[in-house]
Amino acid sequence: MSYTIALAGNPNCGKTTLFNELTGSRQRVGNWPGVTVDKKEGICKKDKELHITDLPGTYSLSPYSAEEIIARDYLVKEKPDAVIDIVDGTSIERNLYLTLQILETGVPTVIALNMMDEVEARGDEIKAEKLSRILDVPVVPITARSGKGIGELLAQAAETARGKKTPQKLLVFDEKLQRVIDEVEKELESSGESDSAWKAVKLLENDENIAAGISEELKNRIRKIIGKAYGSNEDPEAIIADQRYRYIAKVVKDTVKKSAAGHIETKSDKLDKILTNRILALPVFACIMYLLFACTNSENFLFLGIPSPGIWLAGLVESVWGGLTGVIEGLLGNASPWVYSLVIDGIMAGLGSILGFIPLVLVLYLLISFLEDCGYMARIAFVLDRIFRRFGLSGRSFIPLLQGFGCSVPAVMATRTLESEKDRKITAILAGFMPCGAKLPIFALFVSTLFADSNQTLVTYSVYIFSIVTAILVSLLLNKFVYKDGASNFIMELPQYRVPTLKSVFIHGWEKVKGFAVKAGTVIFVSTVLIWFLSGFNLDSFNGKNAAENEDGSIMCEMNDSFMASVGNVIAPVFKPLGFGEWRPAVGVVTGWIAKENVVVTFAQLYEEDVTEEYLEEYFSRFTSEELEELGFEGGAYDSEAAGDIYSESVLFEGGDENALPHMKDDIKTKAAAYAYMVFNLLCMPCFAAVGAMKRELKTWKETGKAVGIQMATAYAAALLVNVVGGLFL
Amino acid sequence: MALAMMEIGETREIKSFHGKEEVKRRLQDLGFVKGEYVQVIGENPSGLILLVKGVRIALNRGLASQIIVA
Ligand SMILES: Nc1nc2c(ncn2[C@@H]2O[C@H](COP(=O)(O)OP(=O)(O)OP(=O)(O)O)[C@@H](O)[C@H]2O)c(=O)[nH]1
Ligand SMILES: [Mg+2]
Repeated sequence: MSYTIALAGNPNCGKTTLFNELTGSRQRVGNWPGVTVDKKEGICKKDKELHITDLPGTYSLSPYSAEEIIARDYLVKEKPDAVIDIVDGTSIERNLYLTLQILETGVPTVIALNMMDEVEARGDEIKAEKLSRILDVPVVPITARSGKGIGELLAQAAETARGKKTPQKLLVFDEKLQRVIDEVEKELESSGESDSAWKAVKLLENDENIAAGISEELKNRIRKIIGKAYGSNEDPEAIIADQRYRYIAKVVKDTVKKSAAGHIETKSDKLDKILTNRILALPVFACIMYLLFACTNSENFLFLGIPSPGIWLAGLVESVWGGLTGVIEGLLGNASPWVYSLVIDGIMAGLGSILGFIPLVLVLYLLISFLEDCGYMARIAFVLDRIFRRFGLSGRSFIPLLQGFGCSVPAVMATRTLESEKDRKITAILAGFMPCGAKLPIFALFVSTLFADSNQTLVTYSVYIFSIVTAILVSLLLNKFVYKDGASNFIMELPQYRVPTLKSVFIHGWEKVKGFAVKAGTVIFVSTVLIWFLSGFNLDSFNGKNAAENEDGSIMCEMNDSFMASVGNVIAPVFKPLGFGEWRPAVGVVTGWIAKENVVVTFAQLYEEDVTEEYLEEYFSRFTSEELEELGFEGGAYDSEAAGDIYSESVLFEGGDENALPHMKDDIKTKAAAYAYMVFNLLCMPCFAAVGAMKRELKTWKETGKAVGIQMATAYAAALLVNVVGGLFL
Repeated sequence: MALAMMEIGETREIKSFHGKEEVKRRLQDLGFVKGEYVQVIGENPSGLILLVKGVRIALNRGLASQIIVA
């Protein structure tokens, strides 16, 4: 026999923290309201019969945004065997408002009084037993973050679920209101409606969702009942809210002992004086964002002359991978040429080309996690609201967009918390413009190969700025021409600032690395093998022609005659105006839709050809003779014999150049074209996983198609502009 | 007067709300009910940071001007 237990409560009260503690899962926790946007199921570690469901947070059972609907529907439609209602002990009055509504539904309930560590630190006291007696449900004080009190909570929840202990009706409302509710309830009951007691209250509260579920005729009868009791200048909805809060105030007065009357200034208030200050807020934000990228991706970290932590780690990973490739190369000494080609040129080169970027993405991701965990997200959303409003969005859109710097999939999902449909649609499109972790390797590859003689860090930053400027412009255009709709409001609770726990930082990092390993082992691995096959074979591989022609009897073909070249040549002309109308870059764009990492994987495989004598001569021709001498040419004269060795050593000095694929220059000839290519991949359709997420948020394929169309059009227009205008200057 | 006109540190009682029905309900869910006291604890170009029932809530200015206090 198994029992389902749902975790419900206000946003940010610690539901997911408790869920992780109970089930041993690693769901995302963050210190801002609206982290969880979908229900998640798990099995309790200590009692396998208990199936726990984590829900999005909600302030009431009359939902306001999409993720709150999920929470409400689960509670009232799927009817769990018990609900653990998590109440943030530091704001108990507001939290109990939802509790009363949960109790009204009659579902077996246990209250978990969370954040007891903070309650105690403030010197407040909550009499749990007394609260339990008043509300007639078990009340267990816990600290979800440390696990304190969870054993007792679990015992109570299990007992409540097994015993199906429905809570008693509380006397929340005054006589008159209760009488009207009872009448409506009877009316509903006689019409065969289920959950009539709870629905009666919701109908008085004007809940459209419930009203939509009953017949017009019944609605009229109910309207009459309400109309008889309350005049047109009275608002039953407000009366209900008022009476609930009054009831709660009484309960709180009896059960909570505050250390001080009124509001005492906390550390959070002091921090807010700076971080949301009318003058300082934006400069501080700019510094934080700069630091974020400096730590991730900078050769000259904070102008100290050392590489940033991200770059440093990346170097480490690359040298390990290089060593590993060497070892495998040795082992494959006698293997047949195609096996060697598959393993070394295909898999090792393909995966190796992106492996080095994991540390970059990891560092960026950990820093974003830090911002999410400390409580700054809600603040910056607020501070940016005024600016975002000018572009036709609300400050809340900042949260999905920042997440887009990590990965588009959670970013698109996070748009669910936006209250207005217009904001949701626009933000889902803009999220695809963000330079997600998987696009990072594209920029790095291009910068190190085609912008080798420019200020590389500056070029990389300029791509970030390009993405933000594009997002702003597109948002303005969409507001003006496509999604015309009124402005939305900004209402957001600002949580306490909290010091992120090591555990949660570790979880975030680990999840990211694990996610990448899984992706590399599945989607990207299969892609590398496919790319290797499609770029090394053609029809003649299988009718013996290649084998007869090739000296070594290999059935592989020249890359330019491969399957991939044939297909690439068909689509390439589309990109001609953008400056990269050759088959290799065209194929890169397409494989990028499977996973953005694939762009670099594809390039690594398609451009990994031997460095020829001609190439070396051209490469060294840009140095003066003094420089040539410094590089190791005797007497400063170019020497084709020594060039090969010197090249492979010297490129290492240029920082990052060892990733360069010199032959890219054959297809992408100008800097304008190179920049256009980066811009196109930055803005065009995100990977299929993200498109899937867009479909989930936008509901229909039609809307999704429209959104992707807008992304594609933006990418094409921007890349064209870059190639044409850039061509005049670069 | 409108809540948006309040100054930092001021505490006043909520009288009414003039705006969309669903926004009114959301404000109620967050503790903005008639007769409740709100304190302004912060302010910047985006709007106000308020203290309601011991919780910090940020509102944009447009919304804050729809809430009437006394
Ligand atoms: N001090 C303290 N902090 C806690 C406790 N439980 C959770 N937190 C913190 O509260 C914040 C919110 O936790 P979550 O578990 O993400 O909250 P949630 O209820 O799932 O939030 P939503 O998914 O947004 O509704 C995080 O920063 C947690 O670290 C606790 O017992 N004590
Ligand atoms: Mg959560």
